[in-house]
Amino acid sequence: MSRAPVRNGAAPRRPGDEDDICPVCKSSRYLNPSMRFLVNPECYHKMCESCVDRIFSHGPAPCPVAGCARTLRKARFRRQTFEDLHIEREVDIRRRVAGVFNKREEEFESLRDWNNYLEEVENLTWNLLQGVEVKETEKKLDAYRRQNEAEIKQNAALESQEIADSEAQFAAQKEQARLRREAARNEELDERREKEEGRREIIDMMAKGDGDADAIARESQKVILKKSTARRTAAEKSRQQAAAKVDNGAAAAPLFSIQGLKRIPQSVPEKEYDPFGGYAIKPAYYYLRDHYEHSWLDNARSDAQITAGGYDVGEYCARAIMEASGGLGVFIEDEIEGREKRVEKEVGTASAAIASGGGGEGVDGDVL
Amino acid sequence: MKFNIEDLPVLFPYPRIYPEQYAYMCDLKRTLDAGGHCVLEMPSGTGKTVSLLSLIVAYQQYYPEHRKLIYCSRTMSEIEKALAELKALMKYRADQLGEEEEFRGLGLTSRKNLCLHPSVKKEKSGAIVDARCRSLTAGFVKEKKERGEDVDFCVYHDNLDLLEPHSLVPNGVFTFDGILKYGEKHKQCPYFTARRMMPFCNVIIYSYHYLLDPKIAERVSKELSKDCIVVFDEAHNIDNVCIESLSIDLTEDSLRKATRGANNLERKITEMRSSDAEKLQNEYAKLVEGLRDADEAREEDAFMANPALPDDLLQEAVPGNIRRAEHFVAFLKRFVEYLKTRMKVLHVISETPPSFLQHLKDLTFIEKKPLRFCAERLTSLVRTLELTNIEDYQPLQEVATFATLAATYDKGFLLILEPYESDTATVPNPILHFTCLDAAIAIKPVFDRFSSVIITSGTISPLEMYPKMLGFTTVVQESYSMTLARRSFLPMIVTRGSDQSAISSGFQIRNEPGVVRNYGTLLLEFSRLTPDGVVVFFPSYLYMESIISMWQGMGTLDEVWKYKLILVETPDSQETSLALETYRTACCNGRGAILLCVARGKVSEGIDFDHHYGRTVLCIGVPFQYTESRILKARLEFLRETYRIRENDFLSFDAMRHAAQCLGRVLRGKDDYGIMVLADRRFQKKRTQLPKWINQALLDSDTSLSTDMATASAKKFLRTMAQPFSERDQAGVSTWDSKDLERHKEKMEQEKIRELRNGGGKMEVDGVDGVDGHVNGQNGMNDDFEDEDMDALMRDVDAD
Ligand code: SF4
Ligand SMILES: [Zn+2]
Ligand SMILES: [Zn+2]
Repeated sequence: MSRAPVRNGAAPRRPGDEDDICPVCKSSRYLNPSMRFLVNPECYHKMCESCVDRIFSHGPAPCPVAGCARTLRKARFRRQTFEDLHIEREVDIRRRVAGVFNKREEEFESLRDWNNYLEEVENLTWNLLQGVEVKETEKKLDAYRRQNEAEIKQNAALESQEIADSEAQFAAQKEQARLRREAARNEELDERREKEEGRREIIDMMAKGDGDADAIARESQKVILKKSTARRTAAEKSRQQAAAKVDNGAAAAPLFSIQGLKRIPQSVPEKEYDPFGGYAIKPAYYYLRDHYEHSWLDNARSDAQITAGGYDVGEYCARAIMEASGGLGVFIEDEIEGREKRVEKEVGTASAAIASGGGGEGVDGDVL
Repeated sequence: MKFNIEDLPVLFPYPRIYPEQYAYMCDLKRTLDAGGHCVLEMPSGTGKTVSLLSLIVAYQQYYPEHRKLIYCSRTMSEIEKALAELKALMKYRADQLGEEEEFRGLGLTSRKNLCLHPSVKKEKSGAIVDARCRSLTAGFVKEKKERGEDVDFCVYHDNLDLLEPHSLVPNGVFTFDGILKYGEKHKQCPYFTARRMMPFCNVIIYSYHYLLDPKIAERVSKELSKDCIVVFDEAHNIDNVCIESLSIDLTEDSLRKATRGANNLERKITEMRSSDAEKLQNEYAKLVEGLRDADEAREEDAFMANPALPDDLLQEAVPGNIRRAEHFVAFLKRFVEYLKTRMKVLHVISETPPSFLQHLKDLTFIEKKPLRFCAERLTSLVRTLELTNIEDYQPLQEVATFATLAATYDKGFLLILEPYESDTATVPNPILHFTCLDAAIAIKPVFDRFSSVIITSGTISPLEMYPKMLGFTTVVQESYSMTLARRSFLPMIVTRGSDQSAISSGFQIRNEPGVVRNYGTLLLEFSRLTPDGVVVFFPSYLYMESIISMWQGMGTLDEVWKYKLILVETPDSQETSLALETYRTACCNGRGAILLCVARGKVSEGIDFDHHYGRTVLCIGVPFQYTESRILKARLEFLRETYRIRENDFLSFDAMRHAAQCLGRVLRGKDDYGIMVLADRRFQKKRTQLPKWINQALLDSDTSLSTDMATASAKKFLRTMAQPFSERDQAGVSTWDSKDLERHKEKMEQEKIRELRNGGGKMEVDGVDGVDGHVNGQNGMNDDFEDEDMDALMRDVDAD
């Protein structure tokens, strides 16, 4: 796979170049560069737009291609998606079949059943494509449709829901990627500006001429370094917040997906409101006693002058002990590691798409 | 010589050892003991390969696990060198131990290099050799032969079946030459001998691709056990190899050929339906049962293997709608047709695989799951149809691989469609790039599977970049400095021309006549003062061409011509090897020559300019990548988002690793000497990104020179180099014999004791610094100590 792309030297043939003559009116692209071809899914015979206008404008008419003579309507003419008209036809048939046989994998007992079903459907499609036993197949298709109407509808709804979901997700990812890109760019600009400023400051200071040049340079270097670390931590923080937001979004999403639909959602009794969101302030590393024996505290306990103002020795002790054990249980390495793991490759990929130029849009507009 | 590292006795096939070799071996042992991965940077020309091999072989033979060594290198010549080293080592061991050990070492390369079949081996292209060999050796050929049908087969291959499968060759190490000779003598195929013997070898030496390219790795390397020791040598480019092995480019032409292939398949299926329908039915039945083909395991050479599929998926049965051969071919055709439609779009598109799959499904009703099985299903079909002219199906195979990859990975990959070759082109000539952005994907199975992976190279700075990019953690990460008895190479950064104006290959000024003239003067000066060979590296072919033509106009080249012959590297490898040959001749006969080449070209990667073949290397400009490429942009973005590697950091890292590669070309041993000139203003700031051993030798006073200062300094250097210098001066400093080594060990021992004694208190103070910190501290000491010694000696030399 590591082969370099071999572009064929000769000017490549653009699709449709070779048969650029309309089989009906024999006009060629050479004379009419804007000529467009259309096909009708009734017989897939190709003709130019002006022929379609000319022949079918006044209502249905037989296909002008020799030996065909099917009745065609203008409304159903369209541009072809695939160069190969067989495929064009195949896809139309598949669309029809897929509209009927839209069972889902989770409806089956086992993978094997599912695979058998898939093959069965494929066989039906194959018959339609090859034109064998068309009538019977159509009949089967029809019968199935009538039998399972409700289910088909439900599955179709599920399907479109899924598509909408995934599209929403793409969009969200793209948006996030865009934001992150912007943030990164700003960060870089800021940094450059700061560096520039720092340098100017040094020069200014040196120009003023007080103090040793080396010392000044060293000192300012330190300041710059400090600033940049501060900025970096800030950026990191905001990034984490953004990531957290997306996480929440993702957590909400499954409600719309299939599993959610099948399960009958149970209403959970509402919990009591907790202003701390489940965060308990309980000492983990020490045990608070009611009374601490300290002779120099006795005064504060008993002196009305002190207690009148609301001073509480217990408070004081609690705070002192809490502060003393404040940093325990904080492991910077772990925290940093956790921060790095947070990064999501999806967003990375999405933003790579933007960076490489195409803007990551789909193509529908152009192809169809 | 013989010595112990902790409890491990090591036999080293030379009477003397370099201090850094000893340090390197110690760290290797530490890695193996700990059972983790490591990144080691060992200065070029200090015998990395031999230290690696002698330590690991000692390790293998001493401990009862007998862990197998898989040694991967990049080029054929490097593999051959390693095999030769191994052979010499084993001979030395046999002499010392007085007996031949039970030991096998083999190398593997493509059929093209190992084939013996009189007509097949004459084919020029490797792909055709592969294809022809397959048609002679496929499983069904043998079956047919047994049935008495008249088929072509290869005797060399069939003879192997007569031998005992686990001892096709006797003990010992076989170089490629050796195995070819052995094969010729015993009429057995060297390629398949090597392939089949792999599970029974102690050491396997082959190219990266056998482990990294999932299509090959699946087949060649799957029997290797978990405790194998994997070494990637010359690994500074390993991320690119990983990415390339999972990227695919499709063109309109290849799609057309794929369609043709699909049509052929269709015809074959119809033929087989009428003649031998049973076979198709058998295949179908197997697929229904979800059984892997029983032959598959035995089949050494399936058409292709599945690219990097997760294991659980491999256990699953093929989806029902592509079970039947006809259905599958129709499926493929539809997919190819869809791709053709995509190619018609006239603006650049880049999208992620999930969005691609969604669109594909909307248009053609192709689901993700059968797409995932595409590659596997195609292999099975090709096998069933007993196709022989496999090369015709290569484009179709590529499409199938693409399908499987796109449906398997939704992250870390990107589809980029470029309708035009360049921004100015008007005739569309589209390419669909399916590009991998994440080097970690391809190498992940390797790290997951093997407990010790060693990544090493002469220039692999900054070390922490690699674990980051490839997604692994290391137990040891070390860069060694070079101990030298005299300053035998002179790195310099030239930032200004002789007129004191800055020189740079930066975009704004690269074509200014002043800058070009300054570069010209630099070249002229160095061609005048350097004996024999000068190698010059440019950032790109384009820049090289333009600067050469400007020099031509200025008359610079005529001047240079008086001192040296001028030769140029071109993208054509044949031309380049001719130029190289001429260059070598001119260096040998005293005429002297200059080779102008490109920092990312073939010369910069694989060719050594030892001794008089390269006395000066001149790096004109910082070899940055072409940043307008969409693929690169996408990768940069991905790196920033995923691994927090900033664009500029990566670009500069990448440029400097190539620069370091170029510099390393001229110094291939301790007795070698050379001048390394980095000629660009921007190098001054990037100095820290050079490998430690180069950076240490770069004096502060040499980091911002003008052309004339550089010339003066180079002249002085060459004068020192011209002084007689005997082996003895190196002894004990840059080379150790056993006594020196003992002394060193003793010293280390004492250091350790001392450190433990006063360090005991220290440990209590900052307990965070655990074991690692301790070990590192010790190493640091070691370095300092050596440096001091070296400095003392340098002073002596200067005083002389
Ligand atoms: S089996 Fe060996 S000798 Fe025979 S064709 Fe294949 S590679 Fe050549
Ligand atoms: Zn017409
Ligand atoms: Zn018609």
